[in-house]
Amino acid sequence: MRNILDRIKYGTETIKDPLINNEFSYGKILAKNNLCTNCGKCTDECIVSAIKINTNANDENIINIDEKKCIYCRNCVDTCPESALEMTNDYKMESLELAGEKLRKNIYKIFNRSLSLRVVDTGSCNACMSELSSTQNTFYDISRFGINVAASPRHADGLVVTGIVTKNMKEALLKTYEAMAEPKIVIAVGSCSYDGGIFKDGEGVYDVLKNILPVDLVIPGCPPSPQAIIFGLLKLTGKIDKK
Amino acid sequence: MNIADAIKSLDELNFDLKYEVKNNNELYIRLKPEQIRKIVSIFIYVYKFNYICEFDTPGKDLIINCMFSNSKEGYYITCSYITKKNPVNLQNIIHQSRLFQREINKDYDYKVKEVSGTGAYQVAVGPVHAGIIEPGHFRFSVMGEAIENLEIRLMYKHRGIEKLCQGIDASSLNLMFERVSGESTVAYGEAYALLVEKLLNKEVSREIKAFRIVLLELERIYNYLDDLGGIANDIGFSYPAKKFGYFSEIIHQLCERITGSRFMRNALVPLGINIDFTVEKKKDIMATLRSLKPRINSIIKTSFNSVSFLDRVEDTGMVSRVMAKKLCMTGVVARACNLKYDVRVNFAYELYKEIKSGTNTTLKGGVFERYKLKSIELNDAFDFIEKALTYINTDIKRDKQAICFKDGLEAITSVETVKGELVVYGLTGKDNKFARIYFKTPSFTNWSGMSEAVLGEIVPDFPVINKSFNMSYSENDK
Repeated sequence: MRNILDRIKYGTETIKDPLINNEFSYGKILAKNNLCTNCGKCTDECIVSAIKINTNANDENIINIDEKKCIYCRNCVDTCPESALEMTNDYKMESLELAGEKLRKNIYKIFNRSLSLRVVDTGSCNACMSELSSTQNTFYDISRFGINVAASPRHADGLVVTGIVTKNMKEALLKTYEAMAEPKIVIAVGSCSYDGGIFKDGEGVYDVLKNILPVDLVIPGCPPSPQAIIFGLLKLTGKIDKK
Repeated sequence: MNIADAIKSLDELNFDLKYEVKNNNELYIRLKPEQIRKIVSIFIYVYKFNYICEFDTPGKDLIINCMFSNSKEGYYITCSYITKKNPVNLQNIIHQSRLFQREINKDYDYKVKEVSGTGAYQVAVGPVHAGIIEPGHFRFSVMGEAIENLEIRLMYKHRGIEKLCQGIDASSLNLMFERVSGESTVAYGEAYALLVEKLLNKEVSREIKAFRIVLLELERIYNYLDDLGGIANDIGFSYPAKKFGYFSEIIHQLCERITGSRFMRNALVPLGINIDFTVEKKKDIMATLRSLKPRINSIIKTSFNSVSFLDRVEDTGMVSRVMAKKLCMTGVVARACNLKYDVRVNFAYELYKEIKSGTNTTLKGGVFERYKLKSIELNDAFDFIEKALTYINTDIKRDKQAICFKDGLEAITSVETVKGELVVYGLTGKDNKFARIYFKTPSFTNWSGMSEAVLGEIVPDFPVINKSFNMSYSENDK
């Protein structure tokens, strides 16, 4: 009885458009190349070496930030003496790999634009897991877009991998992948799953995911927010273009 | 018994030990391998010290450190000895000693137990679980319906974080600390900040200390909301489960508004704070929490008033006080078994001495008690934030300083994370890097508490018991 009263009092709490612009979120780092003096402070500060500065023929410094490596700690933005780096709130940083582009057509045809995913954690810090389960809460409610988490790899169309692949989890990951029916997609969630991130040189680490399985979609971030995950998955299922 | 008394009474025993007191509350004792068993028995049976952990530090030979704490007076005792062989076996004095020695010996050989008899079978679960959970292997040995034995095999996620910490400059090491366990990001950041401040013997201003409490307690709120929601979800009581999920989302968004990260990453740095805190943000926190608190309490009340809910949680997954003590359990899980120990009280850091008084405990130590205690701690967290915010009357400016320390300093700090007591040992090395970082994570000892709790229960009750503990695989595996 109490919960019915509570429901009447507060109504629906689901957000209508989960991809609404979030001004507080972290996001893409913008580089103003004309301000850069190539002092190297940001490259020293970056512990995942995601920043590279090249000087071209016209003596211009071109800052290159690898979004898939970056852990969005903002240390480079804070240290830059010329304020050449700026953090935006654009969380839509997902990137489809080549095979993913082809698969998109398949997904449209075969999966009828719904996805059922299997989540395997191979060595994350569990923030990515927390964010993945946050996409299922009543605020974001990812299941209304036809995206669900399956309990068995046999029922899944896609494999979501979080965290770097450790020696002990390599076999379990491959077995899960093999147990899935074709056609299958691999989605890397978080910076450390695709490119190693902060744990790259750990002694218990086997390899990064991109060298083990063909990755179709990368959702960078440390951890990627539920909005970023939803955006990436909707882009994969081709629901963004329609809007 | 304070440190001076402890040294005095040890001296009377004529053991010929070398004592060294560092950072006011750390006593380091160097001894010989043949003395360690006697000393440890005196510590445990006569002085009633708490056993914390055992770890090795780099050196020519193997240096083994056994750490104890006196929670009444608030100091640590580290006994270290040099050995060429394996560490001295303390198994029959300290039950959990083998857990730590297995890590030092790199002795990972393991044989899964077998069961035989009428109605005996085993259920193997994992490492890949159904749902969004981290990897770990559970082997249930079941007789008919009741679980006779549970073997928990972890370390699937071992990445070697302790070793990685030795290669990173001290000024950006907080990033690595924060990624030991994502759920307790702030607590790990705090542990690093305390460690560095202890090594350099510096303190931050009262405003920053109060602000750190705000961050730490915000983290406690969203974690406990998730835990309560998880228990309700595993029972099949979907309304509270979904609502707690929603509340935790609101807190995550509040954290994002304050610090720019949903897990408050890179906000808490040693010797200062890495974000600006303004009066608007303070008002935002107060308004959000005030609107949320009555709603959370009404949902908790809903669950307590439901008979079918109580039927599942009451007398499920019991751990006795004696067993909890034996297994060195910490945190809410231990306090639910009536172990009166909270780092925020016994080793008060930041402003907890002024804000927190008394430790919450419950008597029986089942799922219901853990649920209840988490809801009490949740309400406490709201009060602490409110109290801490009264200390902040001006804007706090971003203040990050470079860290520079000498070679060969050591310090121990502890923080009460959402899971329990986290103890970090740091030994500085050359080039502004650490030569050794050791984490005694709360999950490491609490996991064995779970294999005790499930005994005699049925397998379908395991998810509820697991969620009521809600230990982190990531911080256990390191």
